[in-house]
Amino acid sequence: MLTKKELEHLADLARIELKEGEEAKLQHDLDEVLEYFKELQVLDTETVAPMTGGTDVRNALRDDASVLPEQVGKGPAAFPEKHDGYLKVPPIL
Amino acid sequence: MHPLHDLTIKKMHDGLLAKEYSSLEMTQAFFAWIEKRDPEVGAYLSLHKDLAVRQAEAADIAIAQDTPAGMLAGIPLAIKDNILIEGERASAASKILENYTAAYDATVIAKLKKAGSVFLGRTNMDEFAMGSSTESSAFQLTRNPHDPTRVPGGSSGGSAAAVAAHMAVAALGSDTGGSIRQPAAFCGAVGLKPTYGSVSRFGLMAMASSLDQIGPFTKTVEDAAIMYQALRGHDPMDATSSPRANDDIADALLHPTLERVRSLRVGIPDEYFIEGLAPEIAQKVEEAIASIKSLGVEIKRISLPHTKYALSCYYIVMPAEVSSNLERFEGIRYGSREHAASLSDLYRKDREAGFGTESKRRILLGTFVLSSGYYDAYYAKAQKVRRLIAQDFANAYKEVDVILTPVTPTPAFKIGEKMSDPLSMYLSDIFTIPVNLAGLPAISIPVKGGLSVDGKTLPVGFQLIGKHWGEADILGLGQYYEKL
Repeated sequence: MLTKKELEHLADLARIELKEGEEAKLQHDLDEVLEYFKELQVLDTETVAPMTGGTDVRNALRDDASVLPEQVGKGPAAFPEKHDGYLKVPPIL
Repeated sequence: MHPLHDLTIKKMHDGLLAKEYSSLEMTQAFFAWIEKRDPEVGAYLSLHKDLAVRQAEAADIAIAQDTPAGMLAGIPLAIKDNILIEGERASAASKILENYTAAYDATVIAKLKKAGSVFLGRTNMDEFAMGSSTESSAFQLTRNPHDPTRVPGGSSGGSAAAVAAHMAVAALGSDTGGSIRQPAAFCGAVGLKPTYGSVSRFGLMAMASSLDQIGPFTKTVEDAAIMYQALRGHDPMDATSSPRANDDIADALLHPTLERVRSLRVGIPDEYFIEGLAPEIAQKVEEAIASIKSLGVEIKRISLPHTKYALSCYYIVMPAEVSSNLERFEGIRYGSREHAASLSDLYRKDREAGFGTESKRRILLGTFVLSSGYYDAYYAKAQKVRRLIAQDFANAYKEVDVILTPVTPTPAFKIGEKMSDPLSMYLSDIFTIPVNLAGLPAISIPVKGGLSVDGKTLPVGFQLIGKHWGEADILGLGQYYEKL
């Protein structure tokens, strides 16, 4: 069982604020899904190597040459708040 | 003017070259039809009218000057809302990106632009591609063109519905656990999920990076081969893209021979014909098997013993990656901002206001399976089970070349039917998920003749799963099925 306190901790880790009415439903849904996951425990995976990605491509490295992709500098256009081309954020402290 | 419902990429290409009509005329005919049909279907979130007209005019000029025109020149396409087109909105059907304008082209978009295609608009989807019915869109419902009381499937429901309702000749979608194949089956379109690493994801909004693939929706398998040939290719901007994607297989994709197709051995896995499979779907898939057999293809019963565990495995691996990929949406670099006193306050408020229920559910689930004390029991375990599932396929492919299965356990379900019960929604992807876990290519093809339900004819799909890089096998077999 996922407790209310655990759910709040998860929401805190994920930087999500939960609304009052939302919590009970989420707690129920997550519990149900986690219960379903228990079927995996019957599998013996002691000697199985984990599959950590979708490809067997290893070390996809580009040539050591300077390249300037055409997208460079286009990010700031999407900033919701900016000042002289810099991203503006609320105070951290 | 050629009727839109009868238009394929191939036919339209021939018509354009024969100067029977121009791309601009057809593009405008599509917009006129969308205006009439889409108020009921709801496939499009918005239309790119200016862009489309410019693209169509450019294609017409090229064709008029007898510049060699590729198969996709002047062809009107619909694009899923999580694929970036420079200067156009791209929201992944999420409030958090409601006002986001793409700053650059996705690699697939750049390729299609170079091929001279026309982009009609961006299509509805489940928020950040998370869902199986397109009901998780923050903006609107999409209805199944065959029965407006039913869902089109998801997450690429808008793209599937646009093609099925003849509001585009073809479309792009993305498939993480079935998001192309399941809506294709529900709407009666052809949907291809290519081999992991064969089509660049640069410019696709990441959901679960070890699973996501871009692929096409089309009217015919032949068109799917044309689209795949145009989309594939190695891309240095996507580190998971494979150099093998540049192998020249155009001839095998576009001109399969019957001799080659007949030499394929097709496996039918016992584990896909289970209790949860609706009998009427099983019946239709049996019909498809009989048709495939009539081509002279050898059919074999096979076993994929860990199939049963794929759903649990997927619903651990995928949310883990989602929780990480969706961290970037925090109101700092994209979208709109809630008023906040501090930075951490801003994160919380923005993510609360910006994400829908399903996104929150998956972010929290992913955070849980990755959290200290639970990581080994869930995430690490699922990665090992994923290996077992991939090995099942590898073993099966020692005996067969293609695997044939159902796409969905039921026909398109009713709008609202599964929204309050996430687990039952997740189960609707049970036959498509194993393919993504193993990184294989697979195609959903409509079984000839639909299913009569409540006085409506609903489509049913069957799935052909290929070996890694075996697109030519499944597309070849599919093209000959289509000709029967």
